[in-house]
Amino acid sequence: MLLEVRDLRVEFHTRDGVAKAVDGVSYGVDAGETLAVLGESGSGKSVTAQAVMGILDVPPGRITGGEVVFRGRDLLKLKEDERRKVRGAEMAMIFQDALSSLNPVLSVGDQLAEMFTVHRGMSRRDARARAVELMDRVRIPAARERAGQYPHQFSGGMRQRIMIAMALALEPALIIADEPTTALDVTVQAQVMELLAELRRELGMGLILITHDLGVVADVADRIAVMYAGRIVESAPVHDVYKAPAHPYTRGLLDSVPRLDLKGRELRAIKGLPPNLTRVPPGCAFHPRCPLARDVCRTDEPPLYEVSATRGSACHFWRECLDD
Amino acid sequence: MGRYVVRRLIQMVPVFVGATLLIFLMVNVMGDPVAGLCGERRCDPATAARLEQEFGLDEPVWRQYLTYMGNVFTGDFGTAFNGQEVTELMATAFPVTIRLTLIAILFEVVVGIALGVVTGLRRGRPVDTGVLLFTLVVVSVPTFVTGLLLQLLLGVEWGWIRPSVSSGAPFDELILPGLVLASVSLAYVTRLTRTSIAENRRSDYVRTAVAKGLPHRRVVVRHLLRNSLIPVVTFIGADIGFLMGGAIVTERIFNIHGVGYQLYQGILRQNTQTVVGFVTVLVLVFLVANLVVDLLYAVLDPRIRYA
Amino acid sequence: MPEQHYEPEPALAGAAAGGAVDLDVVEARTPERRPQGPDGSGPRGKPRSLWSDAWRDLRRNPVFLVSALVILFLVLISLWPSAITSGSPLTCDLSKAQEGSRAGHPFGFDGQGCDVYTRTVYGARTSVAVGVLATLGVAVLGSVLGALAGFLGGAWDSVLSRVTDVFFAIPVVLGGLVLLSVVTSDTVWPVIGFIVLLGWPQISRIARSAVITARQNDYVQAARALGASRSRLVLRHIAPNAVAPVIVVATIALGTYIALEATLSYLGVGLKPPSVSWGIDISAASPYIRNAPHALLWPSGALAVTVLAFIMLGDAVRDALDPKLR
Repeated sequence: MLLEVRDLRVEFHTRDGVAKAVDGVSYGVDAGETLAVLGESGSGKSVTAQAVMGILDVPPGRITGGEVVFRGRDLLKLKEDERRKVRGAEMAMIFQDALSSLNPVLSVGDQLAEMFTVHRGMSRRDARARAVELMDRVRIPAARERAGQYPHQFSGGMRQRIMIAMALALEPALIIADEPTTALDVTVQAQVMELLAELRRELGMGLILITHDLGVVADVADRIAVMYAGRIVESAPVHDVYKAPAHPYTRGLLDSVPRLDLKGRELRAIKGLPPNLTRVPPGCAFHPRCPLARDVCRTDEPPLYEVSATRGSACHFWRECLDD
Repeated sequence: MGRYVVRRLIQMVPVFVGATLLIFLMVNVMGDPVAGLCGERRCDPATAARLEQEFGLDEPVWRQYLTYMGNVFTGDFGTAFNGQEVTELMATAFPVTIRLTLIAILFEVVVGIALGVVTGLRRGRPVDTGVLLFTLVVVSVPTFVTGLLLQLLLGVEWGWIRPSVSSGAPFDELILPGLVLASVSLAYVTRLTRTSIAENRRSDYVRTAVAKGLPHRRVVVRHLLRNSLIPVVTFIGADIGFLMGGAIVTERIFNIHGVGYQLYQGILRQNTQTVVGFVTVLVLVFLVANLVVDLLYAVLDPRIRYA
Repeated sequence: MPEQHYEPEPALAGAAAGGAVDLDVVEARTPERRPQGPDGSGPRGKPRSLWSDAWRDLRRNPVFLVSALVILFLVLISLWPSAITSGSPLTCDLSKAQEGSRAGHPFGFDGQGCDVYTRTVYGARTSVAVGVLATLGVAVLGSVLGALAGFLGGAWDSVLSRVTDVFFAIPVVLGGLVLLSVVTSDTVWPVIGFIVLLGWPQISRIARSAVITARQNDYVQAARALGASRSRLVLRHIAPNAVAPVIVVATIALGTYIALEATLSYLGVGLKPPSVSWGIDISAASPYIRNAPHALLWPSGALAVTVLAFIMLGDAVRDALDPKLR
């Protein structure tokens, strides 16, 4: 395994008490594999990623347990300076909103070149040349001229390409993409996603794709991990999930998406709202919204049942769900 | 950019005319412009009438203003109460006040920004609360009280400095007066920097900089500070005009013979020429400083474009 | 690729619309902001208004409580100074000049032999009167002129903006020196008049932008489209939005006006004896600062605490009223 997250726990201290944003999450990514992490906002998918990257805001956040094993080392045990050298060089992150994630007062060329001067000790001149190469590589036209421009002078799609270029700069082994296309126009979403998938294949990197867009997932992901209220509720190869989900929440997500292969079927939304993380319901956190819920769901927290060798579901009634 | 500057310069004209006219009217209408011309005693009516005619004071005020402004633009600012040319007074007074203002600005930049960065990065910690409380106190205590107290402590009780500044007003004697002059703005700069740093610290691009694996120092200096200082720089720029105009109190406390001193004397002796002349220059400084700040803004923040 | 989804899925609408990182959602999902039971059921109670929310915050803010108590005390002693001092500020005995504190005269005597304690107590009256009256004048004049500019727009607005610029370009202390140096009245009115004259542009700018912002709000547009009358529009929809920023700035300005009065009095052009003012006393005490520092320190302290109280109060009110900081 390239990256293995084991039983990760993250808490936030808020005015109303302690929110368990990540409550015992485990997942893994192999080199060359794409893992899609799915869930609503507040499910803990981004917080998990931030904890893996080591960019969690502390305080209010706090990692209270677990391991993040990357290339054989537990990152949580590294000193900050060693951790910093991993960030950007061995694992990199692509953020959702490229406009706010790029520094508005530095030229994009400077921001890209910085990766080479800081991590590789290159001269400014060489770093600048590499920055232009990178911009070429993510297919930004007239890269040499545009390297001197500022983020606001680029279109949304071009900006996200710059974010991708920045993440790929040092050819890291793992990329974490947090909703990389959500902020883009639909017409550019596909282009950017394709570019990302292509470069990932070329460089043989592992990819964690955090998203709520099931359409994107089917196309590029190998495995899916579905999160709800800080926990993983289903983890499976992507095709198994599409064939038959083993958790009612996954089923709800799939049912609420229009699909070409199931034309004429009624679209259904999941009723209710995700829970307040300072007061997660006892038992299965999903039970107030679950169509299959029974008494046991209100009292016993379901473990991640082994559905098959490669598949797990945190539902007491995963068999019923599969048959449904 | 060029067109913007021209437009701004044109906009400055009515403000300049308005401000100078206002002061001109205040001095003329409220005071007796001839009163100061006969030295300490009152002028006898005959002399007064002669003087009035000589200075064109029997003409309507608007014409007086036009004549005065016409003279000003040819470099003639008139004569002060002691018979000296106002321009001569300016030549001795402005360098002193400029030195004083420079020191004040230096305090704002060095101390204000440093405190702001330290507190902004440690928001909610004891350092932050302490400095914040201190800045509140500094803002609240009027400058003349701060000045008198520091003069009492450092000058009289401990004897670290000369309580009053000698006539040459060299740089080293202006350090404490400069600090007093800067004090309120210094507190504002600290608070502004702190807010700006604290706000930007949670911004997405700072998170990106951290995710890039940059050393903490580089994240703070190159990414966080560069963005956070934009409002601070504009504040300090605009403050130049205020400092020079507000130096009256500081100059009085430390007996500094600068612009404020000359203005004070001019007002006490109701000398129109001195007061209006100095105020005209001050208003010009204020307007130009504001224009420079606006242009600086575009240099610092590439997102701003002036059409 | 399968087809792209153009609309955010219902169940995930929050993620798509908010687009925020999860951290913000955790912080945002406190009961005040999104009222809901632990089971995710509907809201409980009706939503609170800005004012009651602010008041709830203020009641728990120690800064607000302390400054409000100080101000209350100041107001009380300016209304009834004789409640805590039996002397008169104008009864002075030259033979006691510059003497230190002693029984019955806790703050000692000043250069004229006046009781510093009594003068300090009576000084509060002047400061509070000048501060409150000047602030009222500034707030009324500034709000009206600023709101007019915001409403009428066009030529009115540009003229008023230029006039505002003119007033901003004149250094305040300087203007005070020029205007007040020839005034011989020993009442507080010239000083108040002067502060109102130079202070209104600050409020008018705020009122103007508040009105313009409020006018562009969707609900005001909606009310207008529904045919709400102009006066109703102003009273019900626009005024309440402009009031909060004006109150905050006016509270802080009140403190600075008190400081300004003292500064002008210190320079000899503000209030004049026999008025009792901290500025006059500080000015009078400064020549013999070495022999009788107490005559300088007590009024200075009182002045500083008073100004501080108003500025802190304004700060606390702003924090409570600014929804961005919540």
